[in-house]
Amino acid sequence: MPHVLASLPYFVAGWLFFCGLYGLTTSRHLVHAVISLAVLQSSTYMLLLGIGYRTGGTAPVFVDISPGRLTVDPVVQALMLTDIVVEAVVVALLLAMVVKAYEKSGSVSPSDLRTLRG
Amino acid sequence: MIPASGFSPLPVAVPLLGAGALAAIRRWASRAIADSIGIAFASVTLIFATLLLLHSLQGTSVYWFGNWHPRGAMVIGIGFVVGPIGAGLATLTALITLLSLIFSWRFIDSGGNHFQPLVLVFLGAMCGFVLTGDIFNLFVFFELMSTAAFALCGLKTEEPAPLQGSFNFAVTNTVAAFLVLTGIAFLYAATGALNMAQIGAAIGARHDSLVVFAFTLLTCGFFIKAAIVPFHLWLPDAHAVAPTPVCVLFSALMVELGLYAVVRIYFSIFEQALSPHASTLRFLLMSFGAITVVLGGTMCYAEHHLKRLLAFSTVCHVGLMLVIFSLQNSLAIAAMLAYLLAHALIKSELFFTSGIILHRLRSISERVLFRRGTGLRGTACLWFIGAAGLAGLPPFVSMIGEAGTSQAAKIAGVDGISWLFFFAGSITSAAVLRAGMHIFLGAGENPLTDRAAEVGEMPETTPENKKIFWYHFAPPLFCICGAIALTFLPGWQNVLRDSSSNFANQQAYIHTVYSTGSAASAQPEWNEEIPSAAMHGFFAFIFAIALAVTSVFRAKLPHYLRIGSFLERGFRPLRLMQSGHPGDYVLWLTIGLVVFGSVAALALVH
Repeated sequence: MPHVLASLPYFVAGWLFFCGLYGLTTSRHLVHAVISLAVLQSSTYMLLLGIGYRTGGTAPVFVDISPGRLTVDPVVQALMLTDIVVEAVVVALLLAMVVKAYEKSGSVSPSDLRTLRG
Repeated sequence: MIPASGFSPLPVAVPLLGAGALAAIRRWASRAIADSIGIAFASVTLIFATLLLLHSLQGTSVYWFGNWHPRGAMVIGIGFVVGPIGAGLATLTALITLLSLIFSWRFIDSGGNHFQPLVLVFLGAMCGFVLTGDIFNLFVFFELMSTAAFALCGLKTEEPAPLQGSFNFAVTNTVAAFLVLTGIAFLYAATGALNMAQIGAAIGARHDSLVVFAFTLLTCGFFIKAAIVPFHLWLPDAHAVAPTPVCVLFSALMVELGLYAVVRIYFSIFEQALSPHASTLRFLLMSFGAITVVLGGTMCYAEHHLKRLLAFSTVCHVGLMLVIFSLQNSLAIAAMLAYLLAHALIKSELFFTSGIILHRLRSISERVLFRRGTGLRGTACLWFIGAAGLAGLPPFVSMIGEAGTSQAAKIAGVDGISWLFFFAGSITSAAVLRAGMHIFLGAGENPLTDRAAEVGEMPETTPENKKIFWYHFAPPLFCICGAIALTFLPGWQNVLRDSSSNFANQQAYIHTVYSTGSAASAQPEWNEEIPSAAMHGFFAFIFAIALAVTSVFRAKLPHYLRIGSFLERGFRPLRLMQSGHPGDYVLWLTIGLVVFGSVAALALVH
């Protein structure tokens, strides 16, 4: 059943997306929240790779293959790499904030971080 | 078709180079040197952006990086589409950033000279964001802008509150980035293109579930940046903790650019596809906008932390801009941009003034500041003039935006928008007036307060030097003069109107990118509505004064006249919504996404 397998990456992407959102919403630990964000992000990798996949396609390195050969889409892979770079920065920044928060308040719970509300 | 100007990428390249240079010498440079370099690079950016604007007035040009021109219908390179609106926004961005850097000259704590390079990165990202014609490039600049913003917001890491504010800001806006990226992935899957004009041409009139899903994700993603209710919860927390010049950049530029991206994407990609359902879409966008106006205005009046008060006023005014956009004709876009310009100038002025208050009086809470500002005449003048500007009192340029909106609403056949203007103008202005009366006039007694205001904010400047210099007053004064001078400056309205008619026209945009030439259509006049808009602004200001008086002198009034103090206590559910917990914010964001998505799915697909 190739058509079921073909849509599997999209199901996985959707599943990861909701896992990430659920994790963020219910998180009681700042590191857990950051990791949930990373899980949410992996759904975009899955989606991009799923979109670019061609059945029977080879890797898009054109050094040793004939020009007419079917390859997977290199554009989405470039997008995904950019995405990884950008998001690594965000995760690093967030984790640095968590460290700072722990130093200042001795807690890693989002509820204890709340000084401003209303 | 005019040839592309060779300096199109410079408003992005110059600040990024400056940021790199500054970051390299940060450890050894003294504060004065780092500030000078920052200001120099921002000034050069401003010059290039202005030259670009002047060049683009002769016609929109497209700059293809590395001369990768399109082959037929296939775009193979990345292009900057330099139109008057994009270049104009880049100029405004560079100008406000320059003013912020001048304001912070050896004054705002720069976190070991981290501040100046981050501001330059932020500037470069915003310029790229408004100029690019490639949707993935838009995402990259969006993320660059966000990351610089997270770091700028959490610059004062000595206290827990900035960490909370910037953590919530970072989490919600990163989710926004993923929504945008997912939307882009779906568009790429549907069309195989990343250039907005090519995507728009490939989608054409197709409005199946995939297109509507991509539209929902992109719109909601940028709504998070634009702080549309219920995606707005990060904004007051971030504004309350960021240093003043950063608040100026957030409120006057970044939030509006979120809305600009929605408009840009709608008119370059989805206009033709969604045009059969234009009235449904208008209803959807207008509902979100109107709710944002009402909630933002109500919360603005209920805040006693000056920066949070101004932050909610930004929420309110951005909602108003969304309502203007929802009219979806080219005049509405011109009116929205005129209003955006007015708002940027006036809100910058108010934030600069709040920074002066925080510096001089070492607090930001209305109750703590009560009667302590009676000697600060200059600051008081700036504060009250800003309040008048928020109400749209003539001769502030906001009334031109309102006049254009009335005309656009007439064309679209929509009534009642002037009431929203009246509400937004009067309630935000009343909140600012109330704070001003308490702080500078010492009127009334025993001001109310709220929880966030009691937490307050640590001063962001060094205490040994309480003196204030001319260059702290220059940026707010410049903003006021600009906001008034633009009203009397002839000609720019017509330029804005004509360029908006090209901007808000998908076919014209596609023709521009593919260099096939396009014809501008004749535009309706908008000047005839100016007298009535001026009247509205005047009445809104009078009403604002009345409302502020019922709040300040509540003890002397009978119970049924204490409208102001009733509003000032705020509404408990709205305050609970602003819980400060990142999980709650993500939940609200998901609810907003689901509501928007289900209405869009039910109404827009076939």
